Amino acid sequence: MSLPVAIQNLQCTRGAFRLGPLSLDVAAGARIAIVGPSGSGKTTLLRCLAGLERPDHGTIRIGDALVDDDATHASPAERHLGLVFQDGGLWPHMTALQHLKFAAPGLSKQAAEELLARAGLADQTHQRPAQMSGGEAQRLGLVRALAPNPQVLLLDEPLRSVDVHQRDGLVLLVRTLCDERQVTSILVTHDRDEALALADYLAVMRAGQLVEQGPAIELLQRPRTAFTAAFLRGAACLAANRDGDGRVRTAFGTLAADTGEGDGDLRLVVFPGEVATTDDANAPAGRVLATLPADGDGLRVRVAIEDQIVIARADTAPTGTTAHLCLTGRPRLLPWSLPR
Amino acid sequence: MGAHSERYTKAPLWLALAFLTAFAVVPLAVLAYETVAGPDGFTLAAWRALADDDNLREQAMASLRLGLVATVLSLLLGGGTAWLCTACDLPGRRWFGPLAVAPLVVPPIFVAMGLADLWRDVSGFWPCAILLGTSHAPFVAVLAARGLRAVDGRAYEAALLLRGRAAADRWLLRSIAPELIAGCLLAFLFTVADHGVPEFLTVKGKTWHTYAEGIFSRWSRRAVGTTFAEVQSPIVAALPFLAALVCLLWAALRLRAAAPDRGVRQPLPVQPLGRLRWPALLLPVAYLAMGIGVPVLVLARWALGSAQEREPMGLDYLRESYAKAMDQGFAAFSHSVWLGLGTAAVVVLLALPLARQSARRWPVLDVVAALPAAMPAILLGIALVRTFTGNPVFAWIGGGADGWDFYSGWGFAVCGYAVRLLPFAALTLASQVRRQSLTAEEAGRLVPRSATHRALRLHVAPLLPAAWSAFVLTFVLALRELDLAVMLPAANATAVRRLANAVHFQHEDWSGVIALMLLATAVLLPLLPSLLAGRKLSSLS
Repeated sequence: MSLPVAIQNLQCTRGAFRLGPLSLDVAAGARIAIVGPSGSGKTTLLRCLAGLERPDHGTIRIGDALVDDDATHASPAERHLGLVFQDGGLWPHMTALQHLKFAAPGLSKQAAEELLARAGLADQTHQRPAQMSGGEAQRLGLVRALAPNPQVLLLDEPLRSVDVHQRDGLVLLVRTLCDERQVTSILVTHDRDEALALADYLAVMRAGQLVEQGPAIELLQRPRTAFTAAFLRGAACLAANRDGDGRVRTAFGTLAADTGEGDGDLRLVVFPGEVATTDDANAPAGRVLATLPADGDGLRVRVAIEDQIVIARADTAPTGTTAHLCLTGRPRLLPWSLPR
Repeated sequence: MGAHSERYTKAPLWLALAFLTAFAVVPLAVLAYETVAGPDGFTLAAWRALADDDNLREQAMASLRLGLVATVLSLLLGGGTAWLCTACDLPGRRWFGPLAVAPLVVPPIFVAMGLADLWRDVSGFWPCAILLGTSHAPFVAVLAARGLRAVDGRAYEAALLLRGRAAADRWLLRSIAPELIAGCLLAFLFTVADHGVPEFLTVKGKTWHTYAEGIFSRWSRRAVGTTFAEVQSPIVAALPFLAALVCLLWAALRLRAAAPDRGVRQPLPVQPLGRLRWPALLLPVAYLAMGIGVPVLVLARWALGSAQEREPMGLDYLRESYAKAMDQGFAAFSHSVWLGLGTAAVVVLLALPLARQSARRWPVLDVVAALPAAMPAILLGIALVRTFTGNPVFAWIGGGADGWDFYSGWGFAVCGYAVRLLPFAALTLASQVRRQSLTAEEAGRLVPRSATHRALRLHVAPLLPAAWSAFVLTFVLALRELDLAVMLPAANATAVRRLANAVHFQHEDWSGVIALMLLATAVLLPLLPSLLAGRKLSSLS
């Protein structure tokens, strides 16, 4: 399969922040989400791809064209990409139809109107962004990006400014239009739900580096790092200190270290529901934050332990402000991140 | 697309910079150079003469005092009116709001004429301060109203709940301080730089002089035996003053630009004035009466024949005045209008690239653009005259006996006016550029269009409403400009200049008609879009 986007050893320094070096290949037709917390560099990476920032080093190829290396920097317009901005980035003085006509010079009026109708904007054809709702504006941003038939569509947190009840509609629209046009999509977001809704391949970023990448289902089921587990599944990552004899001390007792990977900074990863409240007064205790009904029988108790929050199963609501906890699943020791 | 196209879109910026260099930087440099270039070569005689010249010191102090008093008055009238119309339940505030900006269209010399007609003795310091303070109050009013509208009402209510009315009002004052200070600095700057009004009052018996008057009076006597040092020393004295004014103006521009656009969702709560509701009307009424009522009334009376003491005043005489105006003053009127339109067009075309560049890349351009506005117009006029007539490098522009006479022509007057008024348009437009979304511009960079096409459709098009505001502001300021009209040959024939002289020769009748036509034109242009589009006038905008 050809690679519509290939990034090699990309580095970009902006003030105190440094992105990379990182490499990433995106297959044709793939739907990839680059996820990470704020300040992890995912938007900088997206801007480098779009040509809005010039990297310091490294190469970027889009399709067969080399668009960035030490001697080359193709302009954003020369990259034939579509970009959907977080805040829409719409042109306030243009109507919806004018947006499409300007963005895609060869597009006929009829084709533009059909595209707007596909996006549910038939009634907004002659309206300006200020006259549209947040969801409508973001739909317009999407069809504007797709109007010139780009090979690759970049999406910068497109659901962020959209009301919850409009999100599903926008997700369906993105997926449908990208599938129809066989567009490769690259999404950046810090929202796990947004990533899982719009992508099936994930790349996790932290502090300017790619932590790990892989199919979404694999990363959700078998994260290789505690950071990924915490970010994608909301796992609590508790302190895990190595003994001299290779064992690891945690709040839930001493465990055997079964991982050779990582930066040496091990964490005990506890997924939601993998602990339960217990009457054992010797078990580690935490402060009860909230008690909620579980999906099945019983209750879910949010408990603060160390500086993390674990979600414990319970048959009855804790009576005091503290609750004792025990592990119910297999203890999982993972490195915080992988070596670069 | 590509480098050639990108370079092409930079051409307007380089043109604007070249214009600023030719008509502001170089003339100022020439002026500074001439203070040390005596008839016999290099000399510091003018600088030495400055130390012994008590007159200059007194004139500078008089200017400072006048500036301070007039500014305080502008703050009271303009700031007070803005507050009453924007944040209080003043009766008729929907009408007073738009009207409060109207005194801007009245040239200060008309206000002076009006007051001089009403009160025979206007030769003192206070009448001068009152009329200049009134004339420049719209700067404070407009900016204070902008500041008040930018405050989020919820933040004010939060302060009110936590700390009470007095503390909330102090918080409000601090919030609008940048706008208020910027307005006051502009009023101060215009007052101390004004030459026409204090000079007009001198004819009415005034015995004290401002430093702008000092510069002009020495310079105008240069051909009648005044020494080099005497001619140059007021200019020497003006240079540090000018530097201070540049700093002040730059501060005013930055303060105004830095005042955040807070994305207001809720306006300030309207404060009930209680028992003071009707008495509070006195302030805007007094302000509007002085700023526009008295001048218009006096001009109308002149047109009806009051100054000619013909009885009875009436429509018959008005017809006579109109006929005389068409005969003797229409050329000056149309010259003023064409000069104003030409200046406004040039200013907007130059301000667009400057504003964009200063807002997005080079904030230092604000200072360069502020330079000509900080120069008293009379000094700028002297600098332009010296540069474009006496300097051999630029003499060729003036042409020879058989050539194109740029110096005496309409074009030179337009350039002189444009360089003086450029900062106001650049400020208005730069402020608008700063409000535009960066991501919208970035979205434009991805579009496969030429750089020129993108610049026109995505950068210039959204600025058109602000460009129209800048055009109108420039046109109005050009119509009321008197000081440059005194200095530049082609501008000598403007209506304001003609009228300032005509009243000395008992030509009030047709002068009144021309002045009213001028005011009507100045009011009509800003109203045009509202009239055509049927839009309501917004308060103090």
